[in-house]
Amino acid sequence: MSNNKEFKDFYEKQLLSDLKLLDKDRKKVDKRVILIVITTLIVILIEWKFIPLDITSWKGVVLFVTGLAGFILISLSSKKYRLDFKSKIIGKITAFVDKSLTYMPEGTVSRAEFIKSAIFQHSCDNYKGEDHIQGKIDKTAIEFSEIVAKYKTSSGTGSKRKTHYTTYFAGIFFVADFNKHFKTRTLVLPDTAEKLFGKFGQKLQSLSFSRGKLIRLEDPEFEKEFCVYGDDQVEARYILSTSLMRRILEFKKKWNSKIYLSFVDSKVFIAISLKKNLFETRLFKTIVDYSFIEENVKYLLLLVEIVEDLNLNRRIWSKE
Amino acid sequence: MIYLIVFAALLLLIVVGLYNSLVRKKNDVENSFASIDAMLKKRYDLIPNLVETVKEYMKHEKSLLTELTELRAKAVSGEIAEDDRVDLDNKIVKSMAGVMVAVENYPDLKANQNFLQLQGSWNEVEEQISAARRAFNAAVTNYNNGIETFPSNIMAGIMSYKRRRLFEIPEEERQNIDASDLFNK
Repeated sequence: MSNNKEFKDFYEKQLLSDLKLLDKDRKKVDKRVILIVITTLIVILIEWKFIPLDITSWKGVVLFVTGLAGFILISLSSKKYRLDFKSKIIGKITAFVDKSLTYMPEGTVSRAEFIKSAIFQHSCDNYKGEDHIQGKIDKTAIEFSEIVAKYKTSSGTGSKRKTHYTTYFAGIFFVADFNKHFKTRTLVLPDTAEKLFGKFGQKLQSLSFSRGKLIRLEDPEFEKEFCVYGDDQVEARYILSTSLMRRILEFKKKWNSKIYLSFVDSKVFIAISLKKNLFETRLFKTIVDYSFIEENVKYLLLLVEIVEDLNLNRRIWSKE
Repeated sequence: MIYLIVFAALLLLIVVGLYNSLVRKKNDVENSFASIDAMLKKRYDLIPNLVETVKEYMKHEKSLLTELTELRAKAVSGEIAEDDRVDLDNKIVKSMAGVMVAVENYPDLKANQNFLQLQGSWNEVEEQISAARRAFNAAVTNYNNGIETFPSNIMAGIMSYKRRRLFEIPEEERQNIDASDLFNK
């Protein structure tokens, strides 16, 4: 990390005292959690012994509900502590990385923006997220947050109707001002078909109607990794210059996960699949730990660096 | 008997499919060629404005500007042959590059809002022309593939479709323009 020494100073001067106070809170929460766990186990044991056996089906339900209540209590009792960590520590780290950045622990990028990006074709039936950060890096306005999006499937009819939610995206959703003007929509999606089926896969891809025309670009490595759809052949190439294609490839290698991009309305939307839940605190282990805090900064920097990675501050065209 | 009819029908479908696919590819090529033309026109349209803005400041570069204006007039007059067009276009690009290099010596001009906007528009048009050329090459490659692969090559032969040339950057443009070279002219 380039500003390692700077961050170490910041850590010692700005964060340490808050962390120590929060750690005290953590210890209280730890005790509460242990208490809840023990109580729940005891209650379950009592229920097991004293509920008569002839109503075994009800017994199962009662035990399950008790367990569930225990879990809920645990998460409730640690909620304040978790939020405090976010607003105090993560909030400060965000301002340290760039003064223009604001942090909302429970905010998200709007669902409308997510749908506008048209990256995913599933219907967005359940949309949740946290850790919303927005600001301006030099000339580029950015915003991003963690998002989990699910679609609904129903099976059965009438009283036996069951609804099942499937997660189709979990990770970071990032929106930035793009450095060129354009009117149509272009999508850059991970190329699964070509990897599996080769040339035949390309033929299958060209049949996907709702996403626009298949755009075949000149960079073979880019073509192997991504599949591009767009409404206009020329504008798609105007956006995806040879240098931007190379940068996107580097960006994918850097993150080493599934990347989806979409260019709509003079903005670029990036969805990065990520299993890890970022900017979270922990229980039962001290948080006055430099490497633990550094992890958070590392991810924040990676995200802010996207502007550099895609050279979005290069404003030599008609857009300022 | 019925097998013959089915076979003939299938054959007809295949032939129609091949014919249509080739026609579509040919039209894609013509369409993308027209796009390049449209972008080039945009480029020519920027030149008068640019010359006006720059003229007042760059009093010592009169010859450069006159050359650019003349080249542009020739380009929009429509009196040049197909082959000469590429040549003319290259000359315009080179001349423009010369002007941009000369601007470096005029800090007042470099800071001028009008000029900066024009420069942005120029870069945009250049990038769009490049995109249009890439789209053209993609369309031509697709068309050539259709003409040369089996079985559509048989159909292409019947329709007398010929292979088309890709848009190539001439050697001149490929060599980086040496700044000192321009000043020594």
